[in-house]
Amino acid sequence: MSNLKYRVALILALVVASVWALFPRTVVERVKRDGSFVYDTVRRVPLKRGLDLQGGMHLALEVDESKQAVADKSDALDRALKVVRTRIDEFGVSEPVVQKVGSDRIIVELPGVDDEARAEAVVQQSAFLQFQITDETQALDKVLPRLDQIIKDKGTAGAAVAGDSTKRTEVPAIPNLFSKDTTAAGDSTRKDSSNAAIPPTTGGPFSRLIQGGQFPGEYMVAEKDVAAVETYLAMPEIQGALPPGKVLRWSSDTLTLGQQFYRPIYVVDARPIITGEYLQDAKPNSSPIEGTVVEFELNNEGGRRFRSETGKHVGDYMAIILDDKVVGRPPVIQSAIGTRGQITMGGRDLQAAQDLALVLRAGSLPVPLKIAEVRSIGASLGQDSISKGTLAMVIAVGLVIAIMIGYYRFSGTLAVAALLLYLLFTMAILAGFGAVLTLPGLAGLVLTVGIAVDANVLIFERIREELDRGKTVRTAIDEGFKHAWSAILDTSVTTILGGAVLYQYGTGPVKGFAVTLIAGISASLFSAVFVTRTFYMIWQSRTRNVQTLSI
Amino acid sequence: MIRIFHNTRYDFIKWWRHAAIATVVFIAIGLGSFIVTGGVNYSIEFTGGTLMQLEFKQPPDVAELRATVDKVAPGAEIQQFGTNLEYTLRARLEGAGSDNTSTTEGIARKIQQVLTEKYGAEGFTVKRTEAVGPKVGSELRRGAIVAMLLVSLVTLVYLAFRFEWRFGAAAVLSTAHDVLVTFAFIKIFHIEVSLVVVGAILTLLGYSGNDTIIIFDRVREDLRKARKEPLIDTLNRAINETLPRSILTHTTTLSATAALLIFAGEVLRPFAWVMFFGVFVATFSSIYVAGPLLLYIERKFPRSVTDKAHAVPAAVKAESKGENTPERPARPSGASRGTQRPATR
Repeated sequence: MSNLKYRVALILALVVASVWALFPRTVVERVKRDGSFVYDTVRRVPLKRGLDLQGGMHLALEVDESKQAVADKSDALDRALKVVRTRIDEFGVSEPVVQKVGSDRIIVELPGVDDEARAEAVVQQSAFLQFQITDETQALDKVLPRLDQIIKDKGTAGAAVAGDSTKRTEVPAIPNLFSKDTTAAGDSTRKDSSNAAIPPTTGGPFSRLIQGGQFPGEYMVAEKDVAAVETYLAMPEIQGALPPGKVLRWSSDTLTLGQQFYRPIYVVDARPIITGEYLQDAKPNSSPIEGTVVEFELNNEGGRRFRSETGKHVGDYMAIILDDKVVGRPPVIQSAIGTRGQITMGGRDLQAAQDLALVLRAGSLPVPLKIAEVRSIGASLGQDSISKGTLAMVIAVGLVIAIMIGYYRFSGTLAVAALLLYLLFTMAILAGFGAVLTLPGLAGLVLTVGIAVDANVLIFERIREELDRGKTVRTAIDEGFKHAWSAILDTSVTTILGGAVLYQYGTGPVKGFAVTLIAGISASLFSAVFVTRTFYMIWQSRTRNVQTLSI
Repeated sequence: MIRIFHNTRYDFIKWWRHAAIATVVFIAIGLGSFIVTGGVNYSIEFTGGTLMQLEFKQPPDVAELRATVDKVAPGAEIQQFGTNLEYTLRARLEGAGSDNTSTTEGIARKIQQVLTEKYGAEGFTVKRTEAVGPKVGSELRRGAIVAMLLVSLVTLVYLAFRFEWRFGAAAVLSTAHDVLVTFAFIKIFHIEVSLVVVGAILTLLGYSGNDTIIIFDRVREDLRKARKEPLIDTLNRAINETLPRSILTHTTTLSATAALLIFAGEVLRPFAWVMFFGVFVATFSSIYVAGPLLLYIERKFPRSVTDKAHAVPAAVKAESKGENTPERPARPSGASRGTQRPATR
């Protein structure tokens, strides 16, 4: 009798613990309100929903070795992980996940993010910042004829830009260094081209694609020719012929001049006067004159270097280069700059400035990363999946209840009560382990409802057999449990072992599946065997001298 | 009180040859279609590529949609997904050696661009995109196979420890048979193999293993009762004794699976189909495959004389061997049950 008391107490304690584990609790977290994130207290059910059930974005990042091999990938990723985490935290998502998986991948999960491109940019930007002085010496103009010659010799000129040249090349006039008029540049060259489809004899295949800009080192390439110029620049021969000590950098923006789109390209000194490692802080700001800007601040050492370098280059133009792309248009250096400066965003919105400030603050990635996998699921789809999954669950439970009660009558009712407890326990275990409920997990759960009654079926069939042999109800129940136990144990252990293997070696959904499986089997062992047994004990203690058992 | 299949005396093992032929034919059709129609219909998780799930405001003309998508992603698969407003687009990267995920993502953007031009930004919503590099896919594939092998190994070791190695081997081999049959089914019905389907296959292995274990557990128990009867009769009796349980459990599992199949929506449908089919495979294999395999192993490696002497009939062989020289199984001398009819040919 005392034994029974303890059993009931244990079951009740577990039920209470499970209910408590699943009870919504008040937590402070970042939630989305009217499109922006704010900290707020919300009530949350502890069982988290996976991305596929609530919508959001999943990224897998790998080291990008296309440009150079990385010796110790794992270590590089560890360092990259910190940077990515800092950026994501600032990105403002509730409960993001940033973790390293294995030795060569970082997983980023952003619930509720719908702007994929932006998230990818923030995560992937190396954020390597350099300040480089634009070329003063017309170095590119000097080598243009040679470049044209190289391309002619290769005979690829026609292929890349066949009949597409309606522009006449101008030998760039010495641009006015103090010009403030940004629309004058390149405009004149376009107007007098008058669609004369005569390929100018002076313009070689390369030089006719590229026109002088407003100041030394700035050139303009029509948007439609960008691909061709990139192809040329990638040729090793061309690379070899470029002026030494100079590099070419594309702008990250497109300029509109009249009806035409141009992409500026800059010739800059290869040696940066300073890099982003000295950066201390960066803040977005907007001013009526320059539009949005990012104000940055350098540390003391950086400030010293910057002052002496910029002091040498007063009157020159300084390109601000992020990830090998020139941000904005290079400003002219008016006087030596100390620890503070700003990057004008060239007419892009505050959001872009915020993101740039964010990646600058978080620091640069030690290695370039590439995106190996992207999944994004709309919130509506997640909602849809939950409602459908829940419906399937309710129907499955209903069917199983009907079958069990229809076939086993009273004992079936006990099994059904145990089944409901099983569901409660399983959910509680999942919540307790901080497992995330995904759609496959939900499917697994629905499936285990069908399988969970197996232990009860085994026991009941055994009891029936014992009753058939003419045993008393009490003995039959005892024997039934005893005999069924070995089969139940064996099946459970093999399932748990299998689940453990999957958990160890599986990835993503398979892992979630394994967790659900193990939680389900453990819960069903307890509820089908221990709980049902206790129910029988209670029933036997209430009704003395039972002669029949409804089973 | 309802009782199903109570005290049945079916001679299940007698049918092993028909069962073997049926299952071998099915597997052969499955594997044959590999040769004819090429590989498995892997989801982009495994092949790498891009998937987009779109919902349109108005039902689009499929031909137009195809023409639009073909501009940027020639050869993309377009499938209606549930209603005539929802479509999935798949652009696979099969055979792409280089890791060109950037272009994979690019494809998703390009598709969105051309669709916006065609249907307007309001005309459709992108409900889901997935872009996976081929490297991730090949790793996943390897991982799934390794997981399956490990699960089999662990099961084998445990069963060898709990029963004896003959039972373990029979159970694992019959599970291997389940994998083959399920693959054949997936191939024949052109079900898309995603990670979730792999999960279904693994669940199914566990399920089928359980079924076999429960029968073997009975066999073990009946063997302990020291009846002087051939193993074939013990097996038949064990299957009959566990029959009510099998039928009932399979019914509840099938009910749950059917609920998934009908109500859980399009995403889980492949999973549900595989599981639905799997319940039948598991039932079949635990009776017609695991049993005969156990007999075959027993005949090849008989127990030592100290064990109970079983006059194991030679009627059972591995399905791969085609020689048919069955002897009549000895009649059970201990007249505990009704006599089994010998397998007549």
